[in-house]
Amino acid sequence: MAPRGQVEYCERLITELRRNSLTNAVPIRSTVPALQAAPYDHTQTLYRTLLVFATVAVLALVVGLIEFVYFEPPGKVSGATATIVGVYDYDSSTRMTSGADHSAFPRTQQFAAVVDWSSVPPNMKVDARWYDAFGDVVGHVGPTTADQLSNSSVVPIVVPKEFHHSLPGQYLFVVERFEGSVPVEVLARRIVRVERS
Amino acid sequence: MIARTSPPAANPHSRLRPNRYWIALGVAALVVIALGASSVLNYVYLDTIPGRASLYGLLAVALITLGTYILVRAFDRDPSTRRKRLIRAGVLIGLGVLLWLLVVDVFVYTQSAGPTVALICTVACLPTTAAGLYIVRRMDRNEKEPWRLVLVAAAWGAIVATSLVIWGETIWEMSAERSLVPGPGLDASLAFMAGVLEEVAKGTAVLLLFLVMRDDFDDVVDGIVYGAAVGLGFNFMESISYMTNFYSIFSPEGLGIVAAGFQWYARQGLGLFFGHATYTAFIGAGIGIARQLPQMRQKIFAIVSGFLIAIAAHFSWDAWTAFFPIQSSLFGLVEIHLRTLIMTGPFTAALIALLIFGIRYEGEALRAQFVKEAESGSGAILPEEVAILASPWKRLRQRIRAFQHAGLRAYFQIARLQSAQLDLAMERWHRERKEIDTPLEAEETLRQSVIALRHWVPS
Repeated sequence: MAPRGQVEYCERLITELRRNSLTNAVPIRSTVPALQAAPYDHTQTLYRTLLVFATVAVLALVVGLIEFVYFEPPGKVSGATATIVGVYDYDSSTRMTSGADHSAFPRTQQFAAVVDWSSVPPNMKVDARWYDAFGDVVGHVGPTTADQLSNSSVVPIVVPKEFHHSLPGQYLFVVERFEGSVPVEVLARRIVRVERS
Repeated sequence: MIARTSPPAANPHSRLRPNRYWIALGVAALVVIALGASSVLNYVYLDTIPGRASLYGLLAVALITLGTYILVRAFDRDPSTRRKRLIRAGVLIGLGVLLWLLVVDVFVYTQSAGPTVALICTVACLPTTAAGLYIVRRMDRNEKEPWRLVLVAAAWGAIVATSLVIWGETIWEMSAERSLVPGPGLDASLAFMAGVLEEVAKGTAVLLLFLVMRDDFDDVVDGIVYGAAVGLGFNFMESISYMTNFYSIFSPEGLGIVAAGFQWYARQGLGLFFGHATYTAFIGAGIGIARQLPQMRQKIFAIVSGFLIAIAAHFSWDAWTAFFPIQSSLFGLVEIHLRTLIMTGPFTAALIALLIFGIRYEGEALRAQFVKEAESGSGAILPEEVAILASPWKRLRQRIRAFQHAGLRAYFQIARLQSAQLDLAMERWHRERKEIDTPLEAEETLRQSVIALRHWVPS
């Protein structure tokens, strides 16, 4: 039998535990909303809205990536190369090139690239284009097979009708390989500068 | 009895502040390293006069950065030393601006447009950009951001962000043009370049403001204001660059002024808000929302989301404008506007939705704090003032009434009192949400300053 002091001590302990369990115990999670309604935090609404916008943004970026892969398909390298003989002064009346190979021209001077189509496999579908500083096509031949382009080795710049001479800036000349109607590979490229004065 | 030796704070265990400063220091160091490397590489490898300008411009960037730092700190330090710091900051910024203008002149001169054209383009872009900044700052109806920070944000966008992207864009552009097929693929690659590099460069400014100037960065509304200001600054410099470049390209054909004028309208009129301002404002919105989120994971998601939206908005414009060709007829003028509206309009509309919601939410929160402060009986906010303070229009009416009764001085005194009362409510709001690490003493100081201002205001 326990001594009287010990019994009293245990009773006090039990009373204390009961009191604490009523006041300090962690409430059951499911009863909390019933007891008090937590104030609604509008920041969470803003956060969720931002996440929705971010999801749309990611979709837009994925579409961009798909577009990039479509026009730049990986592993589509043919191993073929084209030879650009040079870029020369060009006379549009005689359709002849002259002078030495240059990388810069005054804007009053017309010029043309000369391509050696025999360097390209004859059945390969190709074209050759000039792009101006704004990315607009300002002269081209093709697209067709390389053997059909053998008589079109000279590819001149065409001055847009609304201008007197070529606009100054960097011009890009490319020989491209096609698959269907899409250019998928650059076989040769050359950059030329048109001076402002 | 244990005596408290320091004033109690709402969040006394906060260790955020030192961490924030270390992060800010790290970001700033990265920016400086990137700028230095970019300029040196430009000089060594590009070997062009613009490349040299980039190196010489580095000194201007350093002077402006140091000057703006001293300027910002001047307002947060002891007022007795403020004047000295302001003079130092003014001298440094002035030198930086002069040096930068010199560099810009040299750069532009090499583009054959000449310093006069550059000056005219700059003068043409100044009023529109200033108007844009004024409107953006006015969007925060409750607590307007200090002009010094708005201008610092715009200056970063114009000078630091544009300098940061030079080298990255040059490398990307050169390698893409030498390896990709011209057309949509190349366009997409260059659009990714502009979206990622430019938005990261601009967003760094907003991130630094968030880390260092937390007291002036309250919520989503402030984030949008700072972000848009950075975007407007960037747009300012980009407009000048495009106008002078187009002028020099088209002037031999006698179309220089038309080309530059069109660029001015597209970038400073139509595209003033539908462009860089919208993109970078999204970064600000993300950071502003993160400011008030409780969990670190959510904060990171919010900031990353803001950057992603900005990059996507910028990317979609750069990559897909080619799919909306403009006819060279009179209808082309309509098409230009439609294209902007269709392509950037949805992003701007989404941003406006965030802004309106943010302003409403901020207004409701401030009203609740006005009521609580009035009920406390401190005298800083009186019960009859709650309705006035909660409404921007009623606040304006109160100021106008003061002006009619006692002139301009009374107008400004009332304005100062209202601002102080709004500051107090904002402080209370952040403290209640436990998103502030200044001691409670700061709130009491604000309260006392409101009471002191009330004594000076005519009844």
